[in-house]
This record gives sequence, structure tokens and C-alpha cells, in this order.
Amino acid sequence: MNRVAVHRILYLCTLLAAFAAMLLSCGKEGGSAPAGEAAKAKSGGELNIYIWSAYLPQEVIDEFTRRTGVEVHYDVYDSNEALLEKLQSGVADYDLVVPSDYLTRILIGEKLIQPLDKSKLSHLGNLDPRFLDKPYDRGNAYTLPYLWGTTGIGYDKTKVGTVDSWAALFDPRHKGRILMLDDVREVFGVALRSMGRSINERDPAVLGRAAEMLKKQKALVATYNSGDFANILAAGDVDLAQGYNGQLAEAVQEHPERLAYVVPKEGGTIWIDNVAIPAKARHAANALAFIDYVMEPEVNARIVNGVHYASANLPARKLIKPEILGDRAIFPDDATIARCELIEDLGDTTTLLDRYWTEIKSQ
Amino acid sequence: MTDHQRRLRPSFSRQRALLTAHSWAVYLFLYAPIAILVVYSFNEGRQTAIWTGFTFDWYAHLLENELILRAVKNSLVVATTTTVVTTLAGTMVALALARFRFLGRAATQAALYLPVIVPEVVIGAALLTFFGVARLRLGLGTVVVAHVAFCISYVAIVVRARLAGLDRSLEEAAADLGAGAWDAFRRVTLPLILPGVVAGALLVFTVSIDDYVVTSFVAGVGSTTLPLQIYSMLKVGVTPEVNAVSTLLLLATVVLIAVAQRLQGRQGGLSGVEET
Repeated sequence: MNRVAVHRILYLCTLLAAFAAMLLSCGKEGGSAPAGEAAKAKSGGELNIYIWSAYLPQEVIDEFTRRTGVEVHYDVYDSNEALLEKLQSGVADYDLVVPSDYLTRILIGEKLIQPLDKSKLSHLGNLDPRFLDKPYDRGNAYTLPYLWGTTGIGYDKTKVGTVDSWAALFDPRHKGRILMLDDVREVFGVALRSMGRSINERDPAVLGRAAEMLKKQKALVATYNSGDFANILAAGDVDLAQGYNGQLAEAVQEHPERLAYVVPKEGGTIWIDNVAIPAKARHAANALAFIDYVMEPEVNARIVNGVHYASANLPARKLIKPEILGDRAIFPDDATIARCELIEDLGDTTTLLDRYWTEIKSQ
Repeated sequence: MTDHQRRLRPSFSRQRALLTAHSWAVYLFLYAPIAILVVYSFNEGRQTAIWTGFTFDWYAHLLENELILRAVKNSLVVATTTTVVTTLAGTMVALALARFRFLGRAATQAALYLPVIVPEVVIGAALLTFFGVARLRLGLGTVVVAHVAFCISYVAIVVRARLAGLDRSLEEAAADLGAGAWDAFRRVTLPLILPGVVAGALLVFTVSIDDYVVTSFVAGVGSTTLPLQIYSMLKVGVTPEVNAVSTLLLLATVVLIAVAQRLQGRQGGLSGVEET
């Protein structure tokens, strides 16, 4: 009896091991390229993309493979820091990455991305000049804009009426019903914009006044949250939420009768995510071809229709679904864009801001 | 055991009521979030916090979401491989430590606890640096190597504990009765330590399949696992799709544990042998 049980267990273990071996062997086929393949792959059979989650529809990738025969591998990350860490390791095998504005500057400084050969890009003229030649990459030698968005306020119109100013986030009437992003630069941006200053202000006296404002505001704030703000607003736990337009726009589309999104009249922040090719990319030619491909108006419109973020491609606009193009939370009007600022690297001032931020959060 | 019960008898019923209430509170604390997660996987709305209606849509979406499916496949490949490799290697380490005296035995024993004690962030950073120096391209291979590296200790520790409670005279008796070293191991030692081996394997499988920190450091092309995938979806908000995939994983884990417990139940007869 016992012996039978033991045999059964041993048999099961063997089965499990065989199953694992099977899984492993098929994993190897579809997985990363072993070192031996390096020479062969050079001519271009592969493209490894590392990109933000939900930033590239599968159909767009499939179409590229259909046209070029290039096999595309696609991994996702959740923060700019994760991308930086992978590129710094020197052994990450990616050919195309999508860093945000401030990280782009760091990647260029550390020589982790390579200059783009623009003579090979036939659709450059499609890009909106307002998103080109930014401080983080003058002349766009290394990067080109992919998708962009804003930071503003999502709010419950049935509770707070119409909001058009950051002042709402300092209004004692909304005590305990306010959510702020858990991000030092975004939160200081609110205070600085309310004072009529730049988000990239470096004057310690002005920053001190902004910190005082935010310390007083803390009594009104229910929570500081950068991950789940749209859900918290939609659930009715707060009435006003500072946040990024992408998630808030989705919440508004889900509850149009109740929620709204606005970039306040004082102006908010704008962020731009850019395509770039890592310095050590083994399939740089394929990456360049892909960059050119996503600048085609039809392809670009399919990306925007699929991911609900705004692109910087002008001819694509004619092909974007009207409900997305007309959504002011996704495509703000020109005046709003003109009022928004990019967050820039502040150098030594960052230390001062971090100290104030710790004081605010811990008081 | 019986001594205790006798002493407790006067206020036994009251104690029992309190203990029952306490147990329920603990169960509620542990399982309420999971229950909510499962319930919301059937929520019609895109937001995860408001109930709008019942639907199976998210499960259908899930079957079409190639990224999530690929991540599930990667996680299963990594966890299964890690479990097989660490169970074999870990058991051997435990046996060597329990049966033989050799140079560096004390050091090996101490080093066994390191991966369990050292913060995962440190392990992850160290492994990434190591792979960088060794010029190993990041991918599914490096993820498996990393998981094996920090999981081997779990098996070794669990099996070692099982071996410590083992009566050596049973093996000696087998030898007396004419069993060779291999026969004695296969027919006496292995059946006796099998509950420990299975427990170690299950532990490793669960640790490996939900590891985020170490994996995030060493993952590369084509090796996004499910925890990495779910975490990266935070930027665009968690959809009920994530709830759906979690529910399916939960189901798989429950089945796995049920199977393991049945196996352990069969072991009951054998541990009887051990006690007599």
C-alpha cells in the first residue's frame, strides 16, 4: 500500500519534470537570442522593443512584421528609472526604447542612446514642430517625440461645480476631499504655477514660499497618490484629484455625467515620451525603420486610436477617431498647450526641493 | 496535549467562542481582499473600484491579450524550471549537510541562510552587476538563474529540518537487511523526507511565480513575467483584466495545494512508520 503511494509520487514528480523540460525547451525557442546567433541576426531578423505598458497596439507590431519580416519582441516597464537601470547594466538587449523628457537628457549625458540617422527617416516632416527641439534634446539629434500628455485636475462636477484653477486645490471647503500626486516636481508645480512662477523655478526664496503654501495645503489633502488616482476619484473617495490626463480621461469617458478633466488656466505640466535607440542596440537599422514606420500617418493614427494618448503627428490627426481627437483631456487646445511647461532637470536645486518635500510629507 | 485541555476545561466554552471569533477575524482579514479581487474580476466597468454590473468580458479580453498570456507563460516556465532545479539541488545539499562532515560544512550551512535573510533588492542588484560583468544577455535564462540562486536555500532548509527529525537507525536497518546505498535511499530515506521535499518545492514555486523585485532587475528581452506585467500596467491603471488573471492564478494555486495535500495525506501511513 505504502509502496504504491510512493511510486505514485515518484511517477508524478517525473511527469512534472518532463513537463518542465518541455516548457523550457519551447521557452528557449521563442525567448531571447542566444549569443551564438549574434552574427546572423545582424542583417536584420529581429527588433527588441522596451516600452511603457499599453503604449503600442499589437496590430501595429503585426503590420510591421508583415511588411518587413522582422520579428518583434516587446517588453514593458513601469518607470523611467527601470529603463535607466536596464540600459546601465550594459547587457539588456534592446533596440528601441521610449524614455520620457527628463530621462532623455540623462540617457544622452551617459551616452546610453545613439544619434539618429535622420537621412533614413522619410516621414520626419509629419511631426508637429511644437514638440521638437526641446531643451532635453536640442535639434532632436537623439530622439523624436512619440506620445505626450498633460497634468491637470480631474474632478467631480456634481460636488464642486466647474473648476478652472489650481486654487481649487487650496480651497478649505474641499478639506479631506483632495488628492495630490505623490511626486515632488508635480506638487511643487501646482504651488509655483499658482504664484505665477515657472515649474522650473530655481530661486530658493520662491521655493521656500511654495513649500509654505504646500505645508498649509496638507491639512486639506486626503492622500498623495501617483498610481491609482483615477480610480480613487471615480470611486467617490475624493472630489478633486491632481493627475495625468491618460488615466483621468478614461475615468471621464466612463462617467461623463459626473467627472471632468481640466488643465487649469494658470497652466500645468506637459510631458513628452520619445523614441530612441540604445547605444548598444544590435538591430539599430530595424529600430530606425520602425521609428519611420510609426511616423506614417495611418500607423500613427492607429496607435492613438488604440492607446488613447496624443501623438505629435500632424497628418495623422485626420485619421484619428473624432471622439478621441475631440476629447480635450487627450488633445488640449493650442492655448492650453502653450500654457504648459516641461519639467526640466534642476541640478543642485533638486536637493532643496527633496528636503522641502520630506518636510511636507512628514509633518 | 490532553494535559492542556484538562487545565483549560473550566472556561473552555468561553475560550472556544473567543478563539472561534478570533479565527474568523483572521480569516476575514486574510481573505476579504482576495474575495473582493475575485468579485471585481466580473465587474462590467473599467474602473476597479465601482460595481457596475456582472460580465465575463474581462476573461474573454484576457484570452486575447497576448502580452498577459505571454507573461503567464513566462512565469510558468520560470517557476516550473526553478522548482525542478532547486528541488533536486536543494535536497542534495540538505542530504550532504546532514550525512557528511566535510571541509567548509559550517560555512555552507551558514551561507544557506543568506539568500533568505539578505534583502531582495540587494540580491537583484548584485545579480544584475554579476550578469553585466559576465556579459550574459538578460533574458529568460538570467531570470531562471536568479530565481534558482535565491530559491535553492528554501528547499535545502525545509528538507534539512525534515532530515534532522529522521531516525538514522531506519537506514541502518535497511542496510542490515541487505539494501545497497541507493536502495536504502530510494525505499527508506526518500519516502520519509518526501513531505519536506514536496513542501520545499511548493514553497519555491510560489516564491518564484510572484517574485517582482529580483526579476525586475534581471529580466530582459522576451522575459516579462506576470508580476512585472501587472506592475507596469499601473501607469495606465489596473483594469479588471488583472483581477481576472489573478483569479485564474489563484485557482491554479488552490488546485496545486489540494493535490499536494492529498499527496501529504497518503504520506500519513509512512509517518506512522517513522513514529513507531
